[in-house]
Amino acid sequence: MTTTTTRRRAGTKLRRRVASAFALGIALLSAGALYTVFIPQPQIALAQDDTQLVAQGQRVFDNHCITCHGANLQGATDRGPSLIGVGSAAVYFQVSTGRMPLARQEAEANAKQQLAELDPHTPEGEKNLEALMAFVQSNGAGPTLPAERGEALRGSDPARGGQLYRLNCASCHNFTGRGGALSSGKSAPNLDPATEEQIYAAMLTGPENMPRFSDRQLSPEEKKNIIAYIESVTNGRNDPGGDPLGGIGPVSEGLIGWLVGIGSLVAFTVWLGARA
Amino acid sequence: MSSGPHAPHRPTEAELDDMTPDQLATLAAELDDVVILRNLSKFPIPGTRAEKRAERAVATWFLLSGLSAAAFVAAYLFWPSQYRAPSEPGYQIYALYTPVIGATFGLSVLLLGVGLISYVKRFLPDEVSVQQRHDGPSDELSRRTVMAQLAKAGKDTTIARRGLIKRSIGIAAGVFGLGFGVIALGGLIRDPWKGGAKAVLWVTAWGSDDGEKVYLRRDTGASGEEIIKNGIRGIRVRPEDMNTGSMETVFPFRMSDLQHSERLDAVLKMSDVPVMLIRLRPGEPVIQRAGRENFHYGDFYAYSKVCTHLGCPTSLYEAQTNRILCPCHQSQFLATEYAKPVFGPATRALPQLPITVDSEGYFVARSDFNEAVGPGFWERKS
Repeated sequence: MTTTTTRRRAGTKLRRRVASAFALGIALLSAGALYTVFIPQPQIALAQDDTQLVAQGQRVFDNHCITCHGANLQGATDRGPSLIGVGSAAVYFQVSTGRMPLARQEAEANAKQQLAELDPHTPEGEKNLEALMAFVQSNGAGPTLPAERGEALRGSDPARGGQLYRLNCASCHNFTGRGGALSSGKSAPNLDPATEEQIYAAMLTGPENMPRFSDRQLSPEEKKNIIAYIESVTNGRNDPGGDPLGGIGPVSEGLIGWLVGIGSLVAFTVWLGARA
Repeated sequence: MSSGPHAPHRPTEAELDDMTPDQLATLAAELDDVVILRNLSKFPIPGTRAEKRAERAVATWFLLSGLSAAAFVAAYLFWPSQYRAPSEPGYQIYALYTPVIGATFGLSVLLLGVGLISYVKRFLPDEVSVQQRHDGPSDELSRRTVMAQLAKAGKDTTIARRGLIKRSIGIAAGVFGLGFGVIALGGLIRDPWKGGAKAVLWVTAWGSDDGEKVYLRRDTGASGEEIIKNGIRGIRVRPEDMNTGSMETVFPFRMSDLQHSERLDAVLKMSDVPVMLIRLRPGEPVIQRAGRENFHYGDFYAYSKVCTHLGCPTSLYEAQTNRILCPCHQSQFLATEYAKPVFGPATRALPQLPITVDSEGYFVARSDFNEAVGPGFWERKS
């Protein structure tokens, strides 16, 4: 009786030890698995890649920008401003629209065909632009582009975007993004060719004479709604009659309405009278 | 009353009874001095194939008009008219809504007109008539008798002798006319000087009579009701909200406005309150106007958005040149020099709003503008 009990107890003990060892092993394994699943991604770019990118950016800078902005981005008198702290978003706007490198000094820098090495439509140009952005960003950080790209930057409420656009943007860019004149030969550009990223970068960094709109003045959500509005009225998307007539509102629309509309009615009536 | 040179024979009662409807119609024309030279029916023999064809052609126009009208009603009721962004599916269909209802409606009216004209051209007889033209005044007899008739009718009313009635009619009509005029014009008459120094032309909603704090608020597109529902977070402006070289249009806001959603909406529509809050870039040399040295807060300057020339919104702020451009007549104001005009037709500087930051870190107006906002008027001294 006792022997069987002891033996059974010894067997139970052994089993218990094996079981607890197993449980510990499983717990350790699952903890390790959980750790690998939930480990946070490091929030900083890896130093190795960044250094290479910044070095490449410096080469691009030395080739195209150094004359006006100086070897240390400090700017040069009567040639170009300091780039310290302007941020990568400003670089993206100026270079991707072809405004920089500047062709010549004049009232304003207009958008033009991008330099081949910096054309964001080619893989090489995109890489160079990214490197240049990283280089400028590494010399005094400033505003950066949001993580989203393209259509993801269009907000869900173009109506409210339109309200904000008319209050903050329409005075210079016209209520359908046609652009308009500023003082002394400067002008606010037409928004037709602007991409979502460029509009976002422009609001954030205020290129040239444009005021800057911080994220507390126009929240990222509001900026995206404004982009949604702009995209809904530019590039011929706001001419249900077939032609925007300059997009300047009742002046041209009224003129065409009177000349073409009333004129054709009068001509039709005269024709009917002549036939009768 | 025909007394022309071709006075026709007047038929007797018995002759009239004998006449056919056609003869009566011809007689009516003759009595009016009209001679029908030709009246040919388009289809003298009824029921020919040509007539049937013409009838079908006219009916086709009317049927097409009816079809188009039906299409208009159907499009008006069922065509998707809900807004779609250009990137969304169904945008092309939505964009056609206005052209489709316009085209179907216009086509329906046009085809109706074409049908009517086609009917007239195909079926009404080919007729040439000549009406005699009567020159000169009526003859002496008619003129004298008519004048005498009118004079007698006037005399028979005996109104010339009844002064009391004439005057009472005058009073009734005059008072009625006056009342009508008051109704029509009364709403347009306002005394702009009511309230003396606090008259509407002199003060704006930035002033506070009861000493309540007036915050600088932004317009986020949210309605008054939405603000009351969702709270005022992000509505009041703080210095850290604005980057250097930026501009924001601000409106007055009082905490007591939260009890009245309509006040929150109304303030955005007041013509004299919009203010440009400008944050200059650091280190800009600024010239203050005498007596207004403490109107700004650091790099923040608040100028009225209403042009002193003709009252347009002068909101084209250029961050590099620090100029404020009015789009209507190209007046330019220098933000770094108390917004004085430097170009264009405006002659006075934009009024400056005295601002500061309260203990909670929000911008507040220290008082109203110290001059009238907007274009000049007779009673203005400066």
